[in-house]
Amino acid sequence: MAKAAVAVARSYEREGRRGAAADYDVGLMLAFQKGSELSFQELVERNHGRVIGLIYRFISDSSDAEDLAQEVFLRIYRARKTYKPTAKFSTWMFRITANVSLNALRSRANRRDDVSIDQMSDFGDGPRAMPDPDSSLPDVRLHQRELQEKVQEAIRALPEKQQVAVILNKYEGMSYADIARTIGCTTMAVKSLLARARDNLKDRLLLYIQTGRGRQPVS
Amino acid sequence: MPAPCQWIRSVLAAYLDGELKSSTARAVRRHLERCESCRAHARLLRESWRLLDEVPPRPAHAGFTERMMARIVEEKDLSALASRLRPHELRRQAVASVLGLAAGLVFGFAVYSWTGLPQEAGGPVEREVSRNVSFLEDADLLDEMAVIEAMERLMSPDDAADGA
Repeated sequence: MAKAAVAVARSYEREGRRGAAADYDVGLMLAFQKGSELSFQELVERNHGRVIGLIYRFISDSSDAEDLAQEVFLRIYRARKTYKPTAKFSTWMFRITANVSLNALRSRANRRDDVSIDQMSDFGDGPRAMPDPDSSLPDVRLHQRELQEKVQEAIRALPEKQQVAVILNKYEGMSYADIARTIGCTTMAVKSLLARARDNLKDRLLLYIQTGRGRQPVS
Repeated sequence: MPAPCQWIRSVLAAYLDGELKSSTARAVRRHLERCESCRAHARLLRESWRLLDEVPPRPAHAGFTERMMARIVEEKDLSALASRLRPHELRRQAVASVLGLAAGLVFGFAVYSWTGLPQEAGGPVEREVSRNVSFLEDADLLDEMAVIEAMERLMSPDDAADGA
């Protein structure tokens, strides 16, 4: 698949190129730029798992994750004429992914504000918010789910840049330098962002840490 | 909090991430060996960071690439449609602009004719009179002069005989 991309990527290897130019995905993108639709298809095939995974870290909703991932690849598709291989392909792709995810979170927050105003005169939501006493879920799974929700809440409560830095560092294993390139700031700024983010997370998750296993809150 | 502890805490996250220069990392390690409070702080940071692993990764969506490529086909169809429509749209806008301009000119001319030239209606003599405002101002005087001249002719029999 995508012979042109393979040829481009191999020629880079022969020439001993490093960084962005040695990136196989950059080769695919350049081949796509020259008209190879198959290269774009291979880009999607190779990267959609990471993109969907990353979006899910931001929005915690798998049903929206696919739509947003399509939006990410659509932006990549539309940007083929202006694309320049100045950085690793993943850096560029993750920047688009973070922007799309944060936009979705912002519009979701706006919608939630509207809904909560509408619900002020609506009593229907009360009983549904009560825990189900007949739930057959074992305690362990309940605690596990509660913990997951608390962790996701703690991440979402961070300021946007801290949130992006945490997700890229923790779940994508990106270095401070790569995060800096992705969000467009200095490595020192990322160091400071992550220091504050980790302090914030520690404060928000303190109850779940002190049990030693992080499984149950201290009562 | 002592100053060294403040500095250690500002770089602790980078230390745990392995993002410090080796000399700085050594200094942090030495401080942690001596300082119980900073060691406890480091443990909390490490444990809270580990809790983030509790959120499971999202498995890849089967058939995503096929759905994505189908959407790309739709996208291409839409842009092709847009490019096909574009010349037609331009022609339509050009015709609308010309018609609009013509209608504006006709309307402007009609308004101007109605409001700007009422005194100039009539034949060439009236138009000349209306332009010569000073003549109009002296009209009464000229009228009186004509009457005087007529009376003078009546009172002069020679002139009257000559005229006969």
